Amino acid sequence: MKQSSRRLALKGALSCALFASILSFSLPAAADEAVLRVSAIPDEAPTELQRKFAPLGKYLEKETGMKVSFVPVSDYAAVVESLATKKLDLVWLGGFTFVQAKIRTNGTANPIIQREEDAKFTSKFVTADPAIKSYADLKGKTFAFGSPSSTSGHLMPRHFLLQANINPDKDFKNVAFSGAHDATVAFVAAGKADAGVLNASVWDKLVEAKKVDTDKVRVFSTTPPYYDYNWTVRGDLDPALVKKLSDAFLKLDAKNPEHAEILQLQRASKFIPSKAANYDGIEQAAKAAGLLK
Amino acid sequence: MNRAQPAAVNPLRDPAALTRSTAFLLALVVLWPLLVVAEFKPGALFDPQNLKTTGSFLAGFLPPETGAEFLSHLVRATLETLAIATAGIALALLIGIPLALLSTRVLAVAEIGPGPGLRRSQFIHYGLRALLTVLRGVPELVWALLFVRVFGLGPAAGVLALALTYGGMLAKVYAEILESGESRPARAILEAGGSRLQALLYGLLPGSAQELTSYTVYRWECAVRASVVMGFVGAGGLGQLMDQAMRMFNGGEASTILLTFLALVLAADALSGFLRQWVGRAGTDGRVAGVSGGGYVMALCASLSVLASFSYLNLGFGELFSSESLRLMVGFLVSFFPPELAVGWLSRVGYGVIETLAISAVGTLLAVLGGLIFALPASGRYGLLAGQASRFVLNALRSVPELVWATLTVLSVGLGPFAGVLALALHTTGVLGRLFAESLQNAPAAPRDALLDAGARPGAAFLYGTLPEVTPQLLAYSLYRWEMNIRMAAILGFVGAGGLGQLLYFELSLFRYAEASTVIAAMLLLSIAVDATSAALRRRLA
Repeated sequence: MKQSSRRLALKGALSCALFASILSFSLPAAADEAVLRVSAIPDEAPTELQRKFAPLGKYLEKETGMKVSFVPVSDYAAVVESLATKKLDLVWLGGFTFVQAKIRTNGTANPIIQREEDAKFTSKFVTADPAIKSYADLKGKTFAFGSPSSTSGHLMPRHFLLQANINPDKDFKNVAFSGAHDATVAFVAAGKADAGVLNASVWDKLVEAKKVDTDKVRVFSTTPPYYDYNWTVRGDLDPALVKKLSDAFLKLDAKNPEHAEILQLQRASKFIPSKAANYDGIEQAAKAAGLLK
Repeated sequence: MNRAQPAAVNPLRDPAALTRSTAFLLALVVLWPLLVVAEFKPGALFDPQNLKTTGSFLAGFLPPETGAEFLSHLVRATLETLAIATAGIALALLIGIPLALLSTRVLAVAEIGPGPGLRRSQFIHYGLRALLTVLRGVPELVWALLFVRVFGLGPAAGVLALALTYGGMLAKVYAEILESGESRPARAILEAGGSRLQALLYGLLPGSAQELTSYTVYRWECAVRASVVMGFVGAGGLGQLMDQAMRMFNGGEASTILLTFLALVLAADALSGFLRQWVGRAGTDGRVAGVSGGGYVMALCASLSVLASFSYLNLGFGELFSSESLRLMVGFLVSFFPPELAVGWLSRVGYGVIETLAISAVGTLLAVLGGLIFALPASGRYGLLAGQASRFVLNALRSVPELVWATLTVLSVGLGPFAGVLALALHTTGVLGRLFAESLQNAPAAPRDALLDAGARPGAAFLYGTLPEVTPQLLAYSLYRWEMNIRMAAILGFVGAGGLGQLLYFELSLFRYAEASTVIAAMLLLSIAVDATSAALRRRLA
């Protein structure tokens, strides 16, 4: 009996230690309040997103007086769900993910800011196959979209394809979801997909940075313009803080060299106020394409 | 299975010919439709376009990326992976041990004699077993995908996903181990009026402690591999880096990450082997449950690493379980009900189920063949050098998770189920080859030697002396892996390799939870059906 009680004591001590550790390591996180939690849909590689965000994060820290922490993500829908469950305060969303967020938060998700460029955004259809010159040539080919939740990498291109009487679910041999815009280009360049579609802004960036061989991969069609990306805050964020945030974005001026770096990384000429009604067109397109009920 | 009967009538007649050829023919008939569904086209491997794609990607593997920034990411991700695995297993133990004790028949006082509690106790047992089936029937990656939504991003989702799936698995296997051992001592203690705890400590543990510890350590090793994969759905760790590198066709980064995998898995393997051996020795010196001074040191080390893991991950469980998150979590769960049951959707899911079955069956069969081919040299049959070389190949195949193989095979054969088949076959060859080699090594030599002495050729001696001895075990291993591969095949679709996974990923992305719920239910039913079938088959083989 003596031995068994010793073993019991050991077991008890071990399980107490485990519980204590769980408690003690979880408490500080709950107590820490003055942090602005920011994330972005992973439409490009997370490392690239972090690089792009670093100077903007510092700027927002200075303007709001809060600590800004950027949470890298690899799933679009997780960003929407985290905003809806109040795990994030400020997020960079695409048009479609904003509509999803709006629906999941019963209309409380609040789009505050967008880039001037987002008011007339386009997608580029790219291919490395010389035989593909129009939408009709895509029939029977393997085609790469970005993420299923992407506006410029899936929803709007699907919408325009359907308008041209091409049904991706029936007319393509295989549909791949690369997950991100830069990955779509990699899929096409590597021959994993015969053609693909991505956001015009990322395409231009890849071309400027010479990350894509334009002799091999070329654009064969560009979509009509539509509203895309914005910065959205959760509906119950302190209005004073929301004001500070939108003022901070609106103040960014390309003539100020410090601001110029931020704007250039965000690929924005300047930021303008945004509103939910801008994205009604996207919502209708999503319903028409059967991606939203 | 007693095949060692002498061939009675005609000494020249092959005693096993009839059963073997019938089994072979039957297998072919069953296999054919599976091959069609799995789009089994080995020709795609040699398609010039695919060869070029794979070749240029693999060419990018050299030199491996060694930039300081990337390496610092890599170190952080590796630590995170280890911490997720350790913390996950610790929580899985918290879930698994009580469930195992509650569902073990041997400790059920009510079953000792006719009494009022018998019906109720049986009811509880069935309920618990059902709960365990649900916990481990849903693949950990699907749990992770769901937890990423509920608990937000980061390692917490991975830890909890591991905790649930592995908690279910540990509970089931612990209960089985406790029941399969000698149950009379425990029963005697209970009948003599001892408490259940006493029956456990003095009746059951002494006989099974070694096996229990060994299985726990093995599961930890599996958890390391599983947590590598979690990153693919945004739950942190090495998988996230791998996912990025693969998507961007960054061969240099991919090869560095793969080498890290290899090192990590081999290290976990070595540590696990060492611990198991150590436990084996400790069990023989007569101490109760193998607890000695060394045992306390080991327990201390284990709890320290658990503590370190929790503090490294900084999970913030307090916040996770606040009333606000619980409310949101319930809301999230409710949105999955009722599942979508429209005929059109059900038929799509149904086809997904068939495709998943076909992928897993063909993949496992290929792996059985591959495993046998490598197991022969690996068991030391063709000399030391061949043995070492084939062991290395098997380890390399095994250390790369199926999902990572799939990202490569979709390049070599294009998107679709065949890529999934190959991915499963590659990884499982590594696993089965090793197990087969061990069985071959442990097979008694006497029958084979007798045949050799009687003048049989080595081939015949192997077929009729060694093979019958190991066949039941090889079949049991293969069935067990097939069971696991069905679960795996269900999620390979996340990277475009067919099956139910792609459907699930797409529906979850579009927040169509009712549809997603049907897919998860299908995965669960599939897993339950496989569990039952393979248990029945194993009983027949035993």
